[in-house]
Amino acid sequence: MAYTAEAFQNEFLALGATEVNAIVTVTSSGAEGGLRTAGATEIIIVDCSGSMQAEGRMIAARQAAKAAVNCIDDGVRFAIVAGVSTAQQLFPAPGQLAVATPETRAQAVHAIDRLQANGGTAMGAWLKLAHQLFAQRPGDIQHAILLTDGENGEYKGYLESVLQEIGGSFTCDCRGVGTNWTVSELRKIATAMLGTVDIVARPQDLAAAFEQMMTAAMGKTSAGVQLKVWTPVNSTIRFVKQVEPQMVDLTGKRSEDGPRAGRYPLGSWGSESRDYHVCVDVTAGAAGDEMLAARVSVVEGDVAHAQCLVRAVWTDDAALSARINRQVAHYTGQAELADVIQAGIEARKAGDDRTATLKFGRAAQLAHQSGNTATEELLSTVVEIEDAATGTVRLRRRIEAADEMALDTRSTKTVRVGRGQ
Amino acid sequence: MTVSLECAACADERAAGAAFCESCGRTLATGSPAGAGPRCPACGPAGAVDADGYCGTCGMLAARPRDHAEADSSPVAAAVTDRGLRHQRNEDAMWLAVRGADTDAVVCDGVSASYDPDVASAVAAEAAGRVLAAGGDDLAGRVAEAITAAGDAVAELARTDPRRAASNPACTIVAACVRGTEIGYGWVGDSRAYWVPERGDARQLTEDDSWATHAIALGVDPQSAWNDPKAHAITAWLGADAGPVRPRTDTLRPGEAGMLLLCSDGLWNYLTDPAELASTVRAAVRKAPDLIAAARTLVAFANEAGGADNITVVLVPIHP
Repeated sequence: MAYTAEAFQNEFLALGATEVNAIVTVTSSGAEGGLRTAGATEIIIVDCSGSMQAEGRMIAARQAAKAAVNCIDDGVRFAIVAGVSTAQQLFPAPGQLAVATPETRAQAVHAIDRLQANGGTAMGAWLKLAHQLFAQRPGDIQHAILLTDGENGEYKGYLESVLQEIGGSFTCDCRGVGTNWTVSELRKIATAMLGTVDIVARPQDLAAAFEQMMTAAMGKTSAGVQLKVWTPVNSTIRFVKQVEPQMVDLTGKRSEDGPRAGRYPLGSWGSESRDYHVCVDVTAGAAGDEMLAARVSVVEGDVAHAQCLVRAVWTDDAALSARINRQVAHYTGQAELADVIQAGIEARKAGDDRTATLKFGRAAQLAHQSGNTATEELLSTVVEIEDAATGTVRLRRRIEAADEMALDTRSTKTVRVGRGQ
Repeated sequence: MTVSLECAACADERAAGAAFCESCGRTLATGSPAGAGPRCPACGPAGAVDADGYCGTCGMLAARPRDHAEADSSPVAAAVTDRGLRHQRNEDAMWLAVRGADTDAVVCDGVSASYDPDVASAVAAEAAGRVLAAGGDDLAGRVAEAITAAGDAVAELARTDPRRAASNPACTIVAACVRGTEIGYGWVGDSRAYWVPERGDARQLTEDDSWATHAIALGVDPQSAWNDPKAHAITAWLGADAGPVRPRTDTLRPGEAGMLLLCSDGLWNYLTDPAELASTVRAAVRKAPDLIAAARTLVAFANEAGGADNITVVLVPIHP
């Protein structure tokens, strides 16, 4: 697996400045020939609560699960979990994983026809069962899809305690169908499990969404990639965030790795490129001093694949220290964009239209400036954008719940800045 | 002997007579990591410099080879380049080649506002130096050829990297070719050549391609021209955005003994008065045991005066 890591920053700091920012682009060419270097295990979790009977959701969920099963490569281990008030393994026999072959896929499709909607929603229990199944295959690329249409019914704090226990042990992409589920709840799971969250407003679109997720998962060729960050003594890491393709704060996922270094999980990788924002507070140097503020490496176990340096150089030349690095500025803007959208949605729900308008106005401005047209289009379903450049917007009187949820879930999607400083 | 007190495990390991600590890897005698580089000048015994030049503890850059470099061909010629005190790296570069009494010398100064100016100056100095060694009998023509080659080499840099293409690497150049008592010299930008005779004022052989020089030529009061913030803005340079390079060249056949001095503005900024420059150079040569020590003295003079820029000094004594 060939990785590259490149840091983009303005290393020049004004005298007395202590905050060092850099965007690190990690690119992987994927394993040779697209072959997995590790085994892979897939678990599909389908919510079978009573509400899934509405609007033909159960029929669509069955079709989606079948479509996903048919995307699983030969040799990959898999299982299907039926989510009710407890977690029940639908396929294969409880506690086991099937090896994908044309026969087992056909058996799984047959089993999926038995899925019935009756029961409650217990996401913590579902994830725990998935975790137990994955535990049989340490070292595998471990990926789960979780589909739900409602809020978690477990007692308060249980899901959080499960996530605390199993967070980051496998990747989980979460999809909500309809509009009765809670964005913040699924986002909590997706963030803890290094996965994605999205809305599938219409049940008939589920099959395509499942196919897309499973195809992406099959493209992953290595598991357990980590970002190792070394920082000098007397410095603190303010944050480490994935900023592209979407915002994910990794700061709290640090595990210590020897003196002054820590590792942040990056999940599984195929042939792809992602950007990370590293922000370090250091002690200020004198004019002309150069400091290594962070040494950032892409690691898998004990193997370091690529490394780049984040530097700090103190200068009294304001022309140098005032230079704005395009990458850092762009992603700082994208992070603010996600924040103001979420703040706008909360304000609107709380009935504070004035704050909501201000937040959405700023969001429209940021989305427009950065060329994030997808987010700008989503925004325009919630507000009428009169002038994106100045951030002049008006709240729409009628807002479809699905539109607002789509804006919320996709607020963390970012666009990449053009390269070439 | 310094012992790493930072490592809690070290005490036990020391007692057991181990050579270095198993938990932190430091050699117990010096406190520096096993097999790693020299001790960090910034944090002392606690840190040691990693292979990439940064301290493994405090992260400070220990030193780069270009921070201070010397070329000693005493008594024929000597050159010293130094980072100075305020700049983070040395963007000056030099070339000194001596065969018998023949001397080729080049001083280049990277333009800080461009991308990778340190690379520009290094590339230019080498390209020019190679041509100086191989050119024809017309010394001024040879210098012109060398500067043109340096210009081409620097312009080429912008074609290899998108970041360089967006902010063209650039530098100044002053080059000299000494054969016997004949000196061919030429320049682009504000790096200078001086003739320092044994008595009397120094004579500036070059005329800066700078805003201040142009303004003074147009009649502006020299004092106020040099105090203008634009004073040091150069009007000609080597780089992809420089247009056609038109080096100015000349030949000097001094009738008396003296010293040819090539230098970057890191030195001449502190010696703008020709009389003071001459006496400083002569004093440095007189007091130093050899030529390289004299060049070091001049660099030290600039550093004591503030060291605001990179400093490069080349000294070539001429004895007719």
